[in-house]
Amino acid sequence: MRVGVIGVGCSKFGRRDDVTIQELSYEAVKEALEDAGIAQDDIDLSVVGSVNTRGYELMPAVPVNEYCGFEDRGPFRVEAACATGTAAIYAACTSIASGMADVAIAIGVEKMTEIETAVSLAIGGRAGNYLWEFHQYGTTFPGYYAMHATAHMARYGTTEEQLAKVAVKAHGNAVKNPKAHFQKEITVEDVLNSRYIAYPLKLYDCSPISDGSAAAILASEERIRELGIDNVVWIESAGYASDTSNMTNRESFVGLKAAVMAADMAYRKAGIDNPVKEIDLAAVHDCFTIAEIMAYEDLRFCRKGEGGRLVENGDTEIGGKLPVNTFGGLKAKGHPLGATGVAMVYEVVKQLREEAGRLQVDLRSNRALIHNIGGTGHFAFVMIFRR
Amino acid sequence: MFIESRELVMRHRIPVSKTAKFWKGLERGKVYKTACRECGREYYPPKADCFCGGEVEWVEIDGRGVVEAFTTVYTIPSGFERSRPYTIAIARFGKVRVMGWADDVSVGDEVTIRTGQDENGVWKVYFEVV
Repeated sequence: MRVGVIGVGCSKFGRRDDVTIQELSYEAVKEALEDAGIAQDDIDLSVVGSVNTRGYELMPAVPVNEYCGFEDRGPFRVEAACATGTAAIYAACTSIASGMADVAIAIGVEKMTEIETAVSLAIGGRAGNYLWEFHQYGTTFPGYYAMHATAHMARYGTTEEQLAKVAVKAHGNAVKNPKAHFQKEITVEDVLNSRYIAYPLKLYDCSPISDGSAAAILASEERIRELGIDNVVWIESAGYASDTSNMTNRESFVGLKAAVMAADMAYRKAGIDNPVKEIDLAAVHDCFTIAEIMAYEDLRFCRKGEGGRLVENGDTEIGGKLPVNTFGGLKAKGHPLGATGVAMVYEVVKQLREEAGRLQVDLRSNRALIHNIGGTGHFAFVMIFRR
Repeated sequence: MFIESRELVMRHRIPVSKTAKFWKGLERGKVYKTACRECGREYYPPKADCFCGGEVEWVEIDGRGVVEAFTTVYTIPSGFERSRPYTIAIARFGKVRVMGWADDVSVGDEVTIRTGQDENGVWKVYFEVV
């Protein structure tokens, strides 16, 4: 059964001192309901994607769901680290595809700024395997990706300047996105001169600690017809894979195996041989600049080891061969864990409906890709959307 | 306007009986992996149970390893307050990879293994460049 996206919403990302997690969630839900032109009563099931290890509301699904007006249609909560949002989309999609629901909403939300930074870093550092990594070695989340960066630089000659170019591109797009955390353009020099967080990653190589929410309403083809909705973006395929919790059990550090597997699965199901030619844009997981470079390679946008050159050539800018992260990426729009994957869906749906304003890309195949990684490749989702 | 939440402190007691050999080994300067007597699979971090159901034995890791990835952590997470910036490396020793702390390493360096305690008193693996 075909499943389509009929409504999307997204809050302003950033430091949201003005709202609680419930209030923040409703911003996205309200926008998504209005976008679809339906009400709470039309929805059968809600899925709340929230990691919430930084939150005071330890089990947020019910309070969030109640605030948004879904108290009687059972939320279930999903968690897949930084890929939580796409896990929520996937769960909503499969519940419709299986016939268990006709219309489902995926709500992704995260409040990350209410606790101090050192504690937040310690929580992120536990996103691998606590006992064998954080407890002994003080792995941090930037540290995990930094290890991939040193391996990639040693093997392929990737440079700190190439990493910086990813951040410059992200900020350049984010200034045109009113929902983005950062609204300031930066230069390669700004990135290179910023302080090290975890060598070789510097402050401007890292996505910020952000608050935010996003929501997407999915429905079956039959129900979409009954509702008379024609502004639909279809879910063409989805790939999902995972990898070990321990970094020491990985096959290599120059890419993410789970992402390669998820991409192969999504491409196979959608019949895509050459993604650069067959998709119009991609939203990829750039929590750190090295992550975007590895994503280019894992998603076969270029050959292994050529990711640095791809961004350097401008091929992934708006107007380039394959625009990537037109919305500013996690790097500059922000990365509120549970919201991120749902917000990627928001961004590609806006693009495929040609509603992306100053960030709009030219559509040829009417296909877009999202790539959402949890942890350091612990979870990987790749999904293809089509107008 | 803000409200301060009530404090919540969590400290866990983690059972390590099945890998006690590893934890005690660190205090005697030894680092152990496990190896399955049935299928030959090797585990680091050590696992007491092999997927195949076979019995595992404890084998010391020594000799030289090769560094495959590293980072120096400058922004220190809570729990490591007494630590200065520290370098984490992953080195390959035969069939297994080991994580450890090191000074001044690069990808491709050959290292040997030793154990020691950090500023918080936690025993762990350290690497020394050959």
